[in-house]
Formats: sequence, structure tokens, C-alpha cells
Amino acid sequence: MKNNKGIFGIILLFLIVIVISLNLFSVNAIENTVCCEKTQSGLYCQDVPSSECAPNSRQVPTSCQSTSYCKPGTCYDSVEGTCLDNTPQIVCNSNNGTWSEIKPAQCGLGCCVLGDQAAFVSLVRCKRLSGFLGLQTNFKKEITNEVQCVLSVQSQEKGACVYDFEFERACKFTTREECLGNNAGNSTGGNGEFFAGKLCTAEELGTKCGPTKETLCIPGKDEVYFKDSCGNPANIYDASKINDKEYWANVKDKSEACNPSGSNANSASCGNCNYPLGSFCRETTSESAKASYGNFICQDLNCKKTQNGQSYKHGESWCVYDDAGSQGESDNSVGSRFYKHICINGEEVLEQCADFRQEECVEDSISQGGIKFSQAACRVNRWQDCTAQTEKADCENTDRRDCAWNEEAILAIQNGSSKGACLPLNTPGLKFWEGDEAQAVCSLANYQCTVTFEKGLFGGEKCTGGCECLSDSWEKDRIGICKALGDCGPKINWAGQEGYKEGYKIDVK
Amino acid sequence: MNRHKDYKEKTSDLYMNLGWNKRGQVAIFVIIAIVIVAVILVIFLRPRLGFTTTQGFSPEKYLGDCIEPNLRDNINKIASQGGYYNPEGFVVYNSTKVKYLCYTSQYYKTCMVQQPKLREHFEGEIDSLIKPKVEQCAMNLKAEYERQGYAVSLSQAEESISIVPGNIRINVIAPITITKESSQNFRSFKVNIKSEMYDLIMTSVSIIDYESTYGDSETTLYMQYYPDLKIEKTKLSDGTTIYVLTNVISKESFTFASRSLAWPPGYGIEEVQ
Repeated sequence: MKNNKGIFGIILLFLIVIVISLNLFSVNAIENTVCCEKTQSGLYCQDVPSSECAPNSRQVPTSCQSTSYCKPGTCYDSVEGTCLDNTPQIVCNSNNGTWSEIKPAQCGLGCCVLGDQAAFVSLVRCKRLSGFLGLQTNFKKEITNEVQCVLSVQSQEKGACVYDFEFERACKFTTREECLGNNAGNSTGGNGEFFAGKLCTAEELGTKCGPTKETLCIPGKDEVYFKDSCGNPANIYDASKINDKEYWANVKDKSEACNPSGSNANSASCGNCNYPLGSFCRETTSESAKASYGNFICQDLNCKKTQNGQSYKHGESWCVYDDAGSQGESDNSVGSRFYKHICINGEEVLEQCADFRQEECVEDSISQGGIKFSQAACRVNRWQDCTAQTEKADCENTDRRDCAWNEEAILAIQNGSSKGACLPLNTPGLKFWEGDEAQAVCSLANYQCTVTFEKGLFGGEKCTGGCECLSDSWEKDRIGICKALGDCGPKINWAGQEGYKEGYKIDVK
Repeated sequence: MNRHKDYKEKTSDLYMNLGWNKRGQVAIFVIIAIVIVAVILVIFLRPRLGFTTTQGFSPEKYLGDCIEPNLRDNINKIASQGGYYNPEGFVVYNSTKVKYLCYTSQYYKTCMVQQPKLREHFEGEIDSLIKPKVEQCAMNLKAEYERQGYAVSLSQAEESISIVPGNIRINVIAPITITKESSQNFRSFKVNIKSEMYDLIMTSVSIIDYESTYGDSETTLYMQYYPDLKIEKTKLSDGTTIYVLTNVISKESFTFASRSLAWPPGYGIEEVQ
């Protein structure tokens, strides 16, 4: 007997050694990472296991942040005038960029005036953009925000700039600044005579420019404009004003043009497009509506009858959760995810939020003048610390987390101390087909219920303790808690199909 | 005064002797005036006429027509792979290798920029790809002139590409001398091909900046600002985001991948390195 015990002890010891060595092996399997200059897959400056580094690539057993060659910083492109953050030194330098650890002064933004438009960019970028447009650089460093920058050009006075060219009285519709030569490099030679609020077609100016039946779109403007014989834009296209001398003489504001409160989408006679309302100047095509004059029209950009049956304006976005199961009720189906839909140019474009429901879609709308504009975004699903909350107030603090308090739930980690548990509002997806993490998460729903019976004097039993565990509702509640923790329990998948296994087990001992 | 009068009389006599009367003089002056005006017009208009030789043949147009189909194919190919013809560090999406322009292998970290000068790189890729075609087109041009009866001398053709707003410009440096009755020399030809690729590339650079700084980008704002732009954003299970930027008017598109601020499934205890 003693011998048997000894043999059993040796076998036990042997098994323990094997288990420990296996554990050690699994710990060693998680290889330490190095900062790899280039990986075998051709990516630069990645913290990966040494085995993934490309041959002859530099590698240091530290994070890339701490190395000289992969240190992230700002890469300045002196041609385009753009700056990119988080660029490794070696990547920047090898592409002929200028790398610096902190953002260089060249990356400072200011207001770049480009005719009657503006861009909030760096000085070199401003020079580049001005060069493309044949304008002299007009950079206003003192303007420090984009809104102010845009407003500064909108207030520019515009009118007819009359000048002599090849023995003719030519005219250009432009700003006072450009006309009078403050912005050199313009076609007027800076010697024009400026007539504020006048169009080049005004008869009193006596220019060679006259009205036409042609129209055009202007970069940066929503509307369709009449075009004069010199190619200048005139007032907003209005078919009824094509022969109106006054309309061809003086600049009219958008509010003075045809139907200023409507979008005028697909209107044959009115080119007063309104981008916020979903119409924009576009060239007519064989499929689009036609204008009475010219080849441009206010194209309808809005989306009619989208997937959810509603209509949306161009630029609006909204959340869609159309996979099987529910959302926001601690019971999302396996493989389901949130989607953000966007209406762009009359087309419904969808954008997935992160998989495994690590992101959820949030939606709100703004109303102005009775017009609603819906906006949606994918944001992080903050479920991670739900089960660690023991107080209802902490659990439901929506500034910190996305959880729901369940009064009846008891989790395995609570040791049965008190009722009530905090569970994710949108359950996270788990990789239940590999690894042990899913099992660890789902096991939080394990629960042992002790039911006490008392035998009667004349036979039979009477439940005296834990009797609720015998009810169908208890089983249902426990399944609910299980499902709320993640992809656990008897869930359906995103297509509505049930799993091959029951998903839970009740042992009665 | 008398001397002047004498001169006038003498010259008048001379014209009379030559058989010209006053009408003839006026006609000569008119002809001279027309010639002067014609010369001025030629001087002023010549640059606008471009390099047009006999029968309205334009070598620039010829080269443009020859290069464009090949160029378009290459641009589409490169643009669908993140600006690379043969990318390293890519994700396969819809059977296409899409280059990661910003990548991190880790979870919870923002990505490292992989290509900070995308436009320049794109130009370089196109340049190397169309070089054989440019040389072939230059030879075709030579053959075309020869067919028209010219004696042609052509040097080795070289090209440079620049992507600018609205256009892709190819400067073909191919010194060529054509001789028939007289000689004409051309040093280079400028070929312009309409393309909105510049805006797509620069918007991509801006998105990469957002990805590397914040871990994600808000594409709806871009589309609201730029009416002709459509951005499709697809998030894959491993945290990769595929961006497809399309100009809705020209239908050109640019595709690239990014992996930034990726989240693991669950708590990611087994995934985090």
C-alpha cells in the first residue's frame, strides 16, 4: 500500500512538473518585442518580435519611441508645405523630408487669401496654392483660426475692373484689391479702374463684355452663374432675367436672386443652388435635368428613401443597426456591428464602426430654422470596466462608461455578497473560437445556487431556501446575465441563426 | 525749302518714269502695312499656335494621344494600391494589395506614417512606369514625321511628371529636328492630361495626418467641405481601415490602408503584445 502511495506521489510530481513546464513554455511563447527598422512585410518602425524583422534591418530591444532611427516626429514637406506628425525619422529622411522632433515653425498656420477664397494653411502651402492659381502670395499670419480666415475673404468688395488691353476696354469681375494692383500678378496689370458692385456687362462702363445665354459654375460657390462674353461670371442664373439690363449691370446678392429660400434642385429656370439644402452647381448630363439656358443646373444631392425608408440631405449621417438581435439592451447578436450611413451626392454610403462592437454608433441632430440635420459618429464602446462597478450610480455614469445596472444579477466575482451587477449596455464581441479569454469572460456568469428543502412530517419536501432558483424566470435571468457579458450563452448570430450548442448548462447536485 | 520741293519733284518724276502713279504708291504703302501687320500678328500669335507643323499636325497632341491610355491604366493601378505599383506592407482587399500608408502592429496605439511625401512618390512611380511608353511614342512621332516626308533627327527621350490640381503634366524632353524645305527644332513637349488625382492625394495626406495623430478620421466633414469628393471607409476585423477616395465627377479614385488605434476583441489580454 505504501509502495502504491509512493508511485502515485511520483506520478503526481511528474505531472506537476509537466504542467509547470508547459506554463513556462506558454509564457516564453509571448516573445518580447523589439523596435524593428523594417519588418519582413515591408513596414517601417514597428514594435514586433525580433523574428519579424527584415534581414539587415536595425533592431533594438526597446520601444521605437526610444530609438534614434525610429523616433516619431514631424515630417515637413518643403515642396507642398505640409507637415505630418508621428513620422519616424528614417521614413521622413529617406523620402527627402525634413524631420524634427517638435513641430517646426514652418508648420505654423495662417490665412492664405486666394482671390475671393481662402485656405488656413502654412506659408509654403499658401505659396504653392497661389502659384497654382497664378496669384501672388497673400498670407495673413495674424489670422489664427479658420472661421476668421473664411470670413475675411467673404467681406471683400467685388466689382468690375475695367482696363485697357490690346486697344480695347477689357473688364474682369474681381476684388478691389486685385484690380488696383495690391495683388500683383493679376491679368489687369494692376492698372484697372474699379467699379464696386458693378458687373462687366453694365452698359455705362462701355466695355467689350456683353450678356450671353451661357452659364458657369464658380469654384467655391454653390450657385449657377450667368457668363458674359468675356468669360466673367455675372449674377446668379435666372431664366426670367436673361434680357434684364439691370440684372446684367449690378451685382445682386443671393437673397435678391430667384427663390432664395429653396434648394432649386433640378430647376430649369433658377440657378440659386443651396448647398446646405442639398443642391449644387453641376454640369448637366444625359441623365440629369436640363436648364432652359446653359449647360449647368442645381443638381439634387439629397438621398431619397434610403435603406431605413427615410430621406436625408447631402452630408447627413445616421446610425443603422440592422443585424439580428437588439442593441442597447445588453443582448447584441454574435458578429453584429454598428454602421454609420452617410448621404453623399444622392448616394447612401455606409461606414462600419469597429468590429467586435468595440465601437458603437451615436447619433444626434441639430435644428436650424425648422430644418433638422442629422449627424452620427462611431465612438468607442466603453464596456471594459462595467463588471468592476459595484454601485448603481457608478455603473450608470454615462460620462465614464456604457453600462446598465441589473438589480437581480449576481456575478461570480461578487461572492454572492449583494444583489445587483453592472453589465455592458452593448455586449462586446469575443474571439470565442480561439484562446481562453472568452471562457474567462463568460465564466463571470457562473453561479451556484443552494436550495434548501425541508422534509415534511408525513413525507414530501418543502423548499425553504433559494427557492427562486427553481423557477423558470431564474433560469431566464441567468441566461440574460450570461448573454450580457459578451458573446456568451445561447445567442443568435447577426443573421439570426442559433448556435450549434445550447450555450449554457445547469447542473443539479 | 526749294531743295525739298526739288526732291519731291525728282522722286515724283522717278516714280512716273518707272511707270508708277500716285495710286501705285498708295498700293505699295497698303501692301507694306499689311505685311507689317501680318508680321506683328505672327509674332504675337505664334506662341498660341503651339508647335503645329504642316497640315495642322501637332506633335504635342500626337504624344498626348499616344501616352494617355497607358498613363491612365498605370495611374488607376497605382492609385488602387495606395500610390505604389508593387507595394510592400499591404493588406489584400478585394484581391488588391493596398499599401498601408500609416501602420502600427500594436493595439491602443496610433500609427506611424509610412509615406510622408505621397505625391512625389506617386510621380516617381508613374515616371518609371511610363518611361518605355514615352520612348516608344517619341519613336512613333519620328516615324510619323518621316511618313510626312521630313528628315528627322531625334535624341533620347526623357520625361518628368508633375501632378498638379486638375492635371497630370508630362514634360517630354525629346530634342528633335525636322527638315523638309526648312528645319524646325523642338526640344521638349508638354503633355497635359486632365486628372483630379492631386486633390485625392492631398486629401489622403490629410487623412493620414488625422490617423497618425488621433487614430481615426472624420470623413463626413471632408465630404461636406468638398462637394465632388466621396470617401468610403471600411473597417476590417483586425483594425485595418481601407479608405477609397473618389472624385464623383471624374470618377477617379485613390485607395489606401491604415491601421491606427486598433481595438482587440474583448479585453484583448491574449492579443496585446
